[in-house]
Amino acid sequence: MAKTVPLFRKALLALPFALLLFYGCEKEEKAADSIVHLNFDHTVGGLELKLNDTWYPSAAGHPFQVARLKYYASNFALENAAGERFELRQAHYRDVEQPETRTLEWQGVPPGEYTGISFVFGLDEAANVDGGLPNTTTNINMEWPLPGDQGYHYMKFEGRYDLNGAGVVKPFNLHTGATGNNQNYVRVNLPFHHPVKMSGGAWQICFSMDLNEWLQNPHTYDFETFGPMIMANQNAQQLLKENGASVFSLSTVEKE
Amino acid sequence: MKSKTAFIPAFAALLLAVACSHEPAPPPDDGWVYNPTPYHFQPPPFFPLLDVPPDNPMTIQGVQLGRMLYYDPVLHPEGALACASCHLQEISFTSGPAVLPHINLGWSTAFLWDGRVQGSLEEAMLFEVKDFFETDLARLEAHPDYPRLFYEAFGEKGITYERAARALAQFQRIMASGNSKYDQAIRQEPGVFLSDAEVNGYELFFSERGDCFHCHGGILFTDNDFHNNALDAEPEAGLGGVTGSPYDIGKFKTPTLRNIELTGPYMHDGRYATLEEVVDFYSEGLHASPTADPLMKAVPQGGKQLTAQEKSDLIAFLKTLTDTSYTTNPALASPF
Ligand code: HEC
Ligand code: HEC
Repeated sequence: MAKTVPLFRKALLALPFALLLFYGCEKEEKAADSIVHLNFDHTVGGLELKLNDTWYPSAAGHPFQVARLKYYASNFALENAAGERFELRQAHYRDVEQPETRTLEWQGVPPGEYTGISFVFGLDEAANVDGGLPNTTTNINMEWPLPGDQGYHYMKFEGRYDLNGAGVVKPFNLHTGATGNNQNYVRVNLPFHHPVKMSGGAWQICFSMDLNEWLQNPHTYDFETFGPMIMANQNAQQLLKENGASVFSLSTVEKE
Repeated sequence: MKSKTAFIPAFAALLLAVACSHEPAPPPDDGWVYNPTPYHFQPPPFFPLLDVPPDNPMTIQGVQLGRMLYYDPVLHPEGALACASCHLQEISFTSGPAVLPHINLGWSTAFLWDGRVQGSLEEAMLFEVKDFFETDLARLEAHPDYPRLFYEAFGEKGITYERAARALAQFQRIMASGNSKYDQAIRQEPGVFLSDAEVNGYELFFSERGDCFHCHGGILFTDNDFHNNALDAEPEAGLGGVTGSPYDIGKFKTPTLRNIELTGPYMHDGRYATLEEVVDFYSEGLHASPTADPLMKAVPQGGKQLTAQEKSDLIAFLKTLTDTSYTTNPALASPF
């Protein structure tokens, strides 16, 4: 008996699978699921982001260098004209020093005519709790352990600035997160230029983050005003949250 | 419930059958037996998953062989030193200046102060036996026990650098420390409480006031990355000497602060004898340089400017990371 049960179980498992395959093949011509590759790229005021070796101008007048950039984007949703959303509730970790983090592969995107994509920059209140993400060394390194706070850094954007371009170099660390349990994450909505009909195959959507936008739109962010420590500074966090709405744009939405 | 387990032996038998058809059966006259027993290693609570490469599963035989090699000067071409000659258990497997401790290296992916070896623990161990020790494999082959012990661990005759490295890596994976007073406190073990000074130190450590956590944070108390922590105005090459990048000059591996009370003197050149000196450095002794890490946020002020109370609280907290159950663990002691 002990041996026949698993075999029987196995057969049961295989049956619907076989059916699915059949069904899948028949329908393929009409409308199939797509794979969407979400790519995360970065510029600084239209210039290519190069770590450490380029001084970029900033709105506040201090040229700056970028040493590291790490962040989470999460809760992706493709939307159609009827306002329906197809969601991927997953946090993607991006580290510019690790090229393998550039792409998030989204499988099983149902056929449809999509009008835009949205996501959360950072982590929403559901994910941003202590232990909310899988216990990997990467996520551990993003922890936000400030006594009384919760969760993870949304972003570590670190570098150096040259005070008024006069040769005095100082560090900055734009570390954003849920300071004082304020939900400082950013909702990013990116409408497509025209509706995109996806019905099978692989697609790519490239996001471009302009790092300058964190520092200038709509508010000028002055490193000198806020200093290198802003984790407990909700004013700085709020300003960055408001600037965050415009940092991402779409550079490509196309079939691969 | 039972039905599921019945499958496993059947499947294993199949696998074995397949595996056997590839390899010639070992000569039976040796009387050696290859029948490895899986080693079920349980990482300490809250630790991330341990990455075990599929081609080097942990077995009782492999771990035991690694432990023997670690303590046996046979690895040394003149038989003069064992790993354990410089890596002493009672002080968290270090000794003297600049000897990096062996503790929780199963979660590390970059090794040595300047990151000369990157990748798996197997690669680090391969470097140690082949390039650092220049182990004479003939010594091991001529030994009365090792040829059999290697066979029992890996199922193939012959002793190679790779197999020695795999055994050492298996042993390193069980060298895990997660039972300090701090660990017991976060596990809320009965009767374990941090003192006021330790709690203050904890808050300094994990907030931007002390700001140690960005590099020495998380459950491992290291980010396993490389930083220039502003020790010198003209830093040594460090990682830059390995990568050739000018941006890596002065970067060194972030050491774990677990068991830090036991592992002085401190820094890659052992320049500080005590934790007091280390904390004074972070408080008042920072030096600007082009690669000084942005996370060393107080470089323009020369340091965090901690008060005497803050300094002693921070040190009190660092001492809660001492785990004597690790430094006395019999499973990690010499098998001889
Ligand atoms: C003569 C003293 C000495 C002996 C013997 C010795 N080591 Fe070390 N070990 C050191 C020193 C010194 C360092 C740090 C060197 C550096 O980073 O450049 C080190 C570092 C290491 C590291 C890097 C740890 C880290 O955190 O990156 C590993 C792994 C290691 N040793 C393994 C071994 C093994 C395995 C053996 C035996 C085969 C061994 N060592 C024998 C002195 C020694
Ligand atoms: C920017 C990253 C960074 C920060 C922030 C940082 N450290 Fe370090 N720490 C390092 C690095 C890298 C080393 C090794 C440097 C070397 O030897 O050249 C180190 C070394 C040490 C050592 C000596 C370890 C040993 O085994 O020799 C101690 C102790 C230490 N740090 C404590 C602290 C404390 C306490 C703080 C907070 C006040 C702190 N660190 C903040 C990166 C950092």
